[in-house]
Amino acid sequence: MLLLEHDGKTLLAARGLPTPKGVLIAPGEPPPATLPGPGPWIAKSQVATGGRGKAGGVRLCRDRAQLEAACADLATLRIKGHEPRGLRIEAAISGAQEAYLGFSLDAARGQVIVMATDRGGVDVEAAGDDLPRVFADLSAEAIGAAVIRLAEALPANLRRPIREAGVICARAFCEMDALLVEINPLFVFPDGRWIAGDVRFVADESALVRQPEIAALVDEKPQSYPDAAFKKTHGYDLVVVDPEGEIGLVTTGAGLSMKLIDEMTAQGLKPFNFCDIRSGGMRGDSSRLIEALRRIGEGPRMRCVLVNIFAGITDLGLFAEILVNALRASPDMRLPLVVRLAGNGEDRAEVVLRESGLPMMIERDLERAVELCATAGVVQGAAHA
Amino acid sequence: MRDDILRRVVDASAPPPKVVVQGATGRAARMHIRLMRGHGTPIVAGVSPGKSGEDEGLAIFPDCASAVAATGAEASIVMVPPLSVLPAILDALAAGLKLVVTVTEGMPVHDAVHARRAVEKAGAVWIGASTPGLAVPGRIKLGFLPDVALAPGSVAIWSKSGTLSYETGRRLVQRGLGQSAWIGVGGDPVKGARFPDLAPMFRDHAATRAIVIIGEIGGEEEEDLAEALLRKPIGKPVFAILAGSEAPEGVTMGHAGAIVSGGRGTLASKTTALRGAGVRVFDAIGPLVEAVATDLKGQA
Repeated sequence: MLLLEHDGKTLLAARGLPTPKGVLIAPGEPPPATLPGPGPWIAKSQVATGGRGKAGGVRLCRDRAQLEAACADLATLRIKGHEPRGLRIEAAISGAQEAYLGFSLDAARGQVIVMATDRGGVDVEAAGDDLPRVFADLSAEAIGAAVIRLAEALPANLRRPIREAGVICARAFCEMDALLVEINPLFVFPDGRWIAGDVRFVADESALVRQPEIAALVDEKPQSYPDAAFKKTHGYDLVVVDPEGEIGLVTTGAGLSMKLIDEMTAQGLKPFNFCDIRSGGMRGDSSRLIEALRRIGEGPRMRCVLVNIFAGITDLGLFAEILVNALRASPDMRLPLVVRLAGNGEDRAEVVLRESGLPMMIERDLERAVELCATAGVVQGAAHA
Repeated sequence: MRDDILRRVVDASAPPPKVVVQGATGRAARMHIRLMRGHGTPIVAGVSPGKSGEDEGLAIFPDCASAVAATGAEASIVMVPPLSVLPAILDALAAGLKLVVTVTEGMPVHDAVHARRAVEKAGAVWIGASTPGLAVPGRIKLGFLPDVALAPGSVAIWSKSGTLSYETGRRLVQRGLGQSAWIGVGGDPVKGARFPDLAPMFRDHAATRAIVIIGEIGGEEEEDLAEALLRKPIGKPVFAILAGSEAPEGVTMGHAGAIVSGGRGTLASKTTALRGAGVRVFDAIGPLVEAVATDLKGQA
């Protein structure tokens, strides 16, 4: 979970990282009366993806008129498909050198990748694997030692700032279960002062239970972290992949749900959402299904819903009962429904579904179920079981 | 990776290692113990901190060391909540267990990093986390791979995804193609055994005539496998299916590890790397199943 820059900066500033003063406004809000400094300012879209600068999501504003225009522009600028979740206004920084400091994890080594360079800024991402790097064990001491080694190869004036930022960020990385911490650019002034121009912080959603500060961000700003908030509240994943999509998916298992979306898209169908309902954790309760049907029902172009559960362990007879309950509790759900249940208890599941008398198409083969979705909404009346 | 113990799990000529179940007294664990035993798994003890005695006919010990001392177990299947996975792995390693399978989803990544280092130091093998586990049908099952998709055969399945492997495995079985071994490496970004770690033992595994890789977006495991296969060819056909071509960048798709970020972990990168190493990569399950069936029938 990539934190918005404002939240990343706030968390690290509380741990001693110098950051520019900034204010956060909601998308579409005008700049506040009191601004950080007399100007010029920098207006930065708060969006959960990298490459923001190159996509035009950061604007330098010389006066209030320019700032107002930037706020209006950035409110509607989607970056790599991500909606802006706010705007951070900071005093613009000039006359500083731009360095880079970053920590991430190497899955094969089970170690931290520590990176530092004197060529910070928007081109760091392009440098990728060429960034100077050393590997360190996952401890603040080991990461700190790695930063010191890297700093020695940098120009003399950057060494102390990189080392100081390294100590703060290494502690934060370890204590806050971070997957990535990047300071880019790290501004270094001619007089030796330094400040973090941008902070990228990727938090581990699996560690939210022991990271109350980050969990609070998700709880307090669900609109900023909609997918994480949904998962935290409902206990499963549902991600809208195409707001104009026509087929809603109620599926279990991340890999199969993704593959289904891939295969449907390749056939020219338009799936609306990814869903991993985690059927093994439903414990006889239909609330996850009701919520999924409600979210899917919000899609403006929805034509059909496909329920696909391959259960190894989950008793599908029980799942079918829960599904029937969920459908009865969702009277607004009038879309054609294709149900494919395979695995443990599939025979009884089919009996339960048929005896419910609810309109649905039951199909055991996944490819044929997808074919039914392709025609549903066109010949739905004829296809109802 | 020191894979001796994993070789003994898949090699049908010797009895499989004895197994302890950590977290044996949970409701789900009890059910899975019955199912695992149904597959012949030699479960000799349960471990549950603070407990001892017997649970449904299984001897329960408070830690792995006492379970190992009493039973001579060499492997463990761990069924505990996310924050208890790392302590359970450390307990297993301290007792000298050489194979630890952890099925739990939602283990914090930093815990996985610490576990990975500890497993390496101990010269052990860790399968997981976030996996249905592994099985050699008819011989042993550690975890909860579904019986409806398991059958003895000659195809090895290596998978990052449970459900996609169930669907693929079952369709292969419907075509008469069972498994020589099925190993779910799991969907977490930092894990125990990774695809490239499995290559050496399956190169030598006579019962395996073909390998099916179930991969997905995120990380560089498929790319690392391609590199390993190029360095040392595996000598049998390898097929792959990869999920997530339509996943938006920067969004976690269910599995903690399934995320494309900064242009890395894309399906295009994985497909190119695997094809470059001679792997036949498929976009859809149906054509993959057909290709494996045609290929193996041609060999026979």
